[in-house]
Amino acid sequence: MKYLVLLIGDGAEKPWPEQTETEQMAAMAKFGAFDAACREREGVELLAGEALSGPGDATVMRTSGEGRVALTDGPYAEVIEGMGGFYLLEAPDLDVVVELLRLLPPYDIQIHPTVDMS
Amino acid sequence: MVTAEAALEQVVRQEWGRLVALLLSQFRRLDLVEDALGDAVEAASRTWPVDGTPDNPAGWLMTAAKRRVLDRLRTEEVARRKEPLLLIDAAQHQEVARTMADAGSLVEDDVLRLVLMCAHPALAPESASALSLRLVLGVPTADIARLFLVPEPTMAARITRAKKRIVGAGIPFTVPDAGVLPERLETVAQTAYLAFTAGYAPGTGPDLLRADQAGEAIRLVRVVLGLRPDEPALVALLALMLLQHSRRDARAGGGHLVLLADQDRTRWHHDEVAEATRLLARPELTGPLTPLAASYVLQARIAAEHATAPSAEDTRWDRIVGLYDVLLQVVPTPSARLARAVAVAEQHGPAAGLDALEGLDVPESHRPAAVRAELLSRAGDLDAARAAYDQAIAACRNEVEKAFLVARRDAL
Repeated sequence: MKYLVLLIGDGAEKPWPEQTETEQMAAMAKFGAFDAACREREGVELLAGEALSGPGDATVMRTSGEGRVALTDGPYAEVIEGMGGFYLLEAPDLDVVVELLRLLPPYDIQIHPTVDMS
Repeated sequence: MVTAEAALEQVVRQEWGRLVALLLSQFRRLDLVEDALGDAVEAASRTWPVDGTPDNPAGWLMTAAKRRVLDRLRTEEVARRKEPLLLIDAAQHQEVARTMADAGSLVEDDVLRLVLMCAHPALAPESASALSLRLVLGVPTADIARLFLVPEPTMAARITRAKKRIVGAGIPFTVPDAGVLPERLETVAQTAYLAFTAGYAPGTGPDLLRADQAGEAIRLVRVVLGLRPDEPALVALLALMLLQHSRRDARAGGGHLVLLADQDRTRWHHDEVAEATRLLARPELTGPLTPLAASYVLQARIAAEHATAPSAEDTRWDRIVGLYDVLLQVVPTPSARLARAVAVAEQHGPAAGLDALEGLDVPESHRPAAVRAELLSRAGDLDAARAAYDQAIAACRNEVEKAFLVARRDAL
């Protein structure tokens, strides 16, 4: 199963810009630990993962029934206002994904399976 | 000689969860297994009374249910439509193939997988409760609907949605690592307790209390405790449930609720009280406990104080207040504070109880106002009591409790 993992909010983690250099290094180490754990875990593959620029840079695209495209400034909804990054992860099941994600800083995270088209 | 009907009822009651678990292990089709087993039971109810009860009733149901699933899979093959499969690990799948060859022995681990899947933290708590009763125990959907006070089609839809979500979200049919297992078993405990308390949320008419259905939640805990006998949260929860359940026959009379102090104590189930007392003496409960397990132990000890008092007047309120003090350190919830205030009022009088209520607010609940009203009336401040009853009545969502409050107010 493939999962899209969206880091949607800071949750219990102090926002990045407010962190001291030591805290930022500790957070980076957690991302490193997550990468390593995914590599080592059988049946798990990190297919993609990027950090996102600030929510102000996001654009929402809506297309009307007549094919007219409307673009709006900012992220889609309040829930992803603070989306900081994402992973695309191949993993056996939800429990394995949750277990691995515990290695990351305590962000609010949305886990969403993808549809297998094959 | 048991009749075929009784034999069928017994095998369904005892083996339903194992049969579901084994069928899931083999076919990984959460959408088919329950219906297939239901059809098998229906077939058995027709044929066993005529042909006699088979030597291995569980094996008979298993074979019949497997045949149903295979029929469905063949139909799908023709239609070229494949439903998504439940996630299980490869080693487990091989083990199942071995187990199935030996139809007599059923694997306990499969039932644990089933229990953990149904009570998964990624499911909404009420859905998890309903699904557990349905799949682990085979409780009919109509009875589960009655327990949660919703129409049967609503409950059927809720159960179907929960099954879809398990497959869709990738909730696995596996036992997690030992490091995570205790936490997951605590979710199982909370799931069972939710079903139990639903049975004691007042309904109306003949459904005032649904103690039989609440009793099924106790059966669920017994099943899980059978698989993990030393889990403190489960031991303590069983004790707590038994103590509360032991009062079921005395709690409702003439279509209304009977308060603890007014209950006929000879109608309590004292054998259940005795079992709970034995459970509370188990060594697993004396070591360090998680907050959830500790809160179950403390609530059970409070319930045991009530259950073992010879009369309402002989209740040891000093000990109950002391237990609430500890409980508040573990789980500082408004409802525990409210219960403590009631105990304080019993021990030191209504004025002390009112002091203990000071500043307490339970969102969306009529209970703090109802307790305040009762204590004010005992203190002789009837105007303030009337105002507090009005406030409680306005906030009360349950017709039975509302009628009770109105009667108390009008009797001032």
